[in-house]
Amino acid sequence: MSEEESRGLDEALELLNKPLIKNSIVTIISLAMFVATWWVVAILADLVYLPTPPNVMEALIDSFANEDPNLGVTMWQNIWSSLQRFGLGFALAFLVAIPLGLAMGYSKIFDLLAKPVVEVFRPIPPIAWVPFFIAIFFYFWGPIMVIFIGVLFPLLSNIYFGVKSVEPILLDAARTQGASRFQIFTKVVFPYTIPFLMTGIRIGMGIGWMCIVAAEMIGGVGGGIGFYINLQAGLGLYTNMFAGMIVIAVLGLLTTGIMQYLENVTNRRMGIR
Amino acid sequence: MILEIKDLMKSFPKKKGEMVAIADFDLDVEEGEFVCILGPSGCGKTTILRIIAGLESQTRGRILLNGKEISGPGSDRGMVFQEFALFPWRTVRRNVEFGLELKGVPPEERRERTQKFIELVGLNGFEDYHPYQLSGGMKQRVGIARALANEPAILLMDEPFGALDAQTRNLMQKELLRIWSETRKTVIFITHSVDEALFLADRIVVMTARPSEIGQIYEIKWPRPRDRASPEFAALRKQILEQLESMVKIEE
Ligand SMILES: Nc1ncnc2c1ncn2[C@@H]1O[C@H](COP(=O)(O)OP(=O)(O)OP(=O)(O)O)[C@@H](O)[C@H]1O
Ligand SMILES: [Mg+2]
Repeated sequence: MSEEESRGLDEALELLNKPLIKNSIVTIISLAMFVATWWVVAILADLVYLPTPPNVMEALIDSFANEDPNLGVTMWQNIWSSLQRFGLGFALAFLVAIPLGLAMGYSKIFDLLAKPVVEVFRPIPPIAWVPFFIAIFFYFWGPIMVIFIGVLFPLLSNIYFGVKSVEPILLDAARTQGASRFQIFTKVVFPYTIPFLMTGIRIGMGIGWMCIVAAEMIGGVGGGIGFYINLQAGLGLYTNMFAGMIVIAVLGLLTTGIMQYLENVTNRRMGIR
Repeated sequence: MILEIKDLMKSFPKKKGEMVAIADFDLDVEEGEFVCILGPSGCGKTTILRIIAGLESQTRGRILLNGKEISGPGSDRGMVFQEFALFPWRTVRRNVEFGLELKGVPPEERRERTQKFIELVGLNGFEDYHPYQLSGGMKQRVGIARALANEPAILLMDEPFGALDAQTRNLMQKELLRIWSETRKTVIFITHSVDEALFLADRIVVMTARPSEIGQIYEIKWPRPRDRASPEFAALRKQILEQLESMVKIEE
C-alpha cells in the first residue's frame, strides 16, 4: 500500500468514528436488515396480503406519479387532504388548549371548575369519538374533530403542568421587582411554559397522525391517506395499501423530527441546555 | 432612619395551635448602613427578610420604610436570593432590565440605565449570556445588578453567597463591599457565617433560637478592608460563635 493510500484509509477510518456518521451507518444497516427480513418472509410466506419490498416500492412511485383509478387523485392530493385536516384539527386544539391550560394552571377556581370535566373526557380514546363525530360533523369536519380531541389533551396537560411547575422563587423575584399579577403572568409564567408547550405539540403530533388515519378509514371526502389505505385494502390491492402505510410512516417521522428540532431550538433560546 | 421595624411578631399555623417563629424583633437601620443578621438555623432570618420585602405578612408589628408603612412587595426594596432566582430564558442584560421593563421604561433608556449596573458588578462582555452559561459567582453578580437596577432604597440579601465555594465567596464579599461603597446603599444581609458578618457589617444583629428575638447587637467600627487574621477579629469571632453554640444547646 502506498503512503497516500494508507493516509486515505486513515481518514476514512477517522470519519467512521464521528458520532453522526457512525449513527447514520447503524441506522442504514438496521433499515437494510428490516427490508431484507421482510423480503425473505414475503417470498417464503407467499401471501397476497404480504407483497415484497420491490412491489411496494413500485406501487409507491406509481401512486405519486399517476392518479389512482379508483380514487381519481394522486398520492400528493391524499397527503394534502390529510395535512389539511391535520392542520385544522391541530389549530383548533391549540386555540382551546392554550387559554384553558394557562387558566387552569394559574387560577385555582378555574382549575376546580374545569378539572372534573377534563378528567372525565381524557381517558376516552380519540378513536372512540369517530362514529359520533362523523355522524354529527360528517366527512370533512368529523375527522378534524377527532384530531382536535386527540391533540387537545396532551397539549392541555403539558401546558397545565408547565404552569404548575413554575419555580415559586421566580415569582418571588418578579414580585420584589415590582411585577403586578398580570405582569407575573405575561413575563414569568407564560415564558416558563413555552418549552412545556413545545413538548405538548410534539407528543400531540404523534397522536394526531394516528387519529387522522383512523378517522379517515371510516370515511373521507376528497381522499386522505387513511381513506386511501382502507380503500386499497377493500379492493384487495395490498401493494397499494402498504405504499400508503409507508407514506404515513415517513410523514409521521418528518413531522416529529421537525418538531424535535424546533423544540431543541426553543429550549436553547429559553436558556435550557 | 431609613428602616424601622417595630414590635415584629410572626407565627405560622401548625396542626395544633401555632408555631411562633419570631417572638419580638425591633430594629432601626440608618441610611447607608450595612447590617448583618446572624442566627442559628431555622430561627427566622429568611422570614424577617421576606416580611421586609413584602413577600410575607407579619402577624403583628409595623415596618416603616422612609417613614411609610410597607404593605406588599415593591421595587423600593431590592432582593437578592441565595438561589439567584434569575430568569433562565433571559440574557444577563434582560434579567437586569426586568424591573425597568415592568415600569414601562422604553428600551433605549432601559439599556442605558442598566449598562452602568452591569459594569458596576463587573459583567461587561457577558450581557448576552444566558444564566446557565455563568458560574455561581457571576450569577449572583447578575442578581445584585438586577436588584440595584431598580434603584431601591434598600438592598435585602438572604445568604446571597451561601451557594458559592469558599474562594468565590471571599471574592464576592470584597466585591460587595466595593459595590456598596460606590452606591452607598443600605444593606440588610443575612448569613450564618460569623466570619462573613464580621468582614462585612457595620452592625451585627445576633438572634436567639426560636421563638426568636434579638440576642445581642455588635457595632463593628473597624476600618475596611478587614483582616480576618487580626487578633481582635479572632476574639470577636470566638465570642459570637460561643454565643451561637450556647443557644443551640438550649434548643436541644
Ligand atoms: N410558610 C411557612 N409555613 C410554616 N412554617 C414556616 C414557613 N416558613 C418558615 N417556616 C418555619 O419558620 C421557621 C423559620 O424559618 P426561616 O426560613 O425564616 O429560618 P432561617 O433562619 O432563615 O433558617 P436557615 O438558617 O435554615 O435559612 C422554621 O422553623 C421554618 O420551618
Ligand atoms: Mg433562611
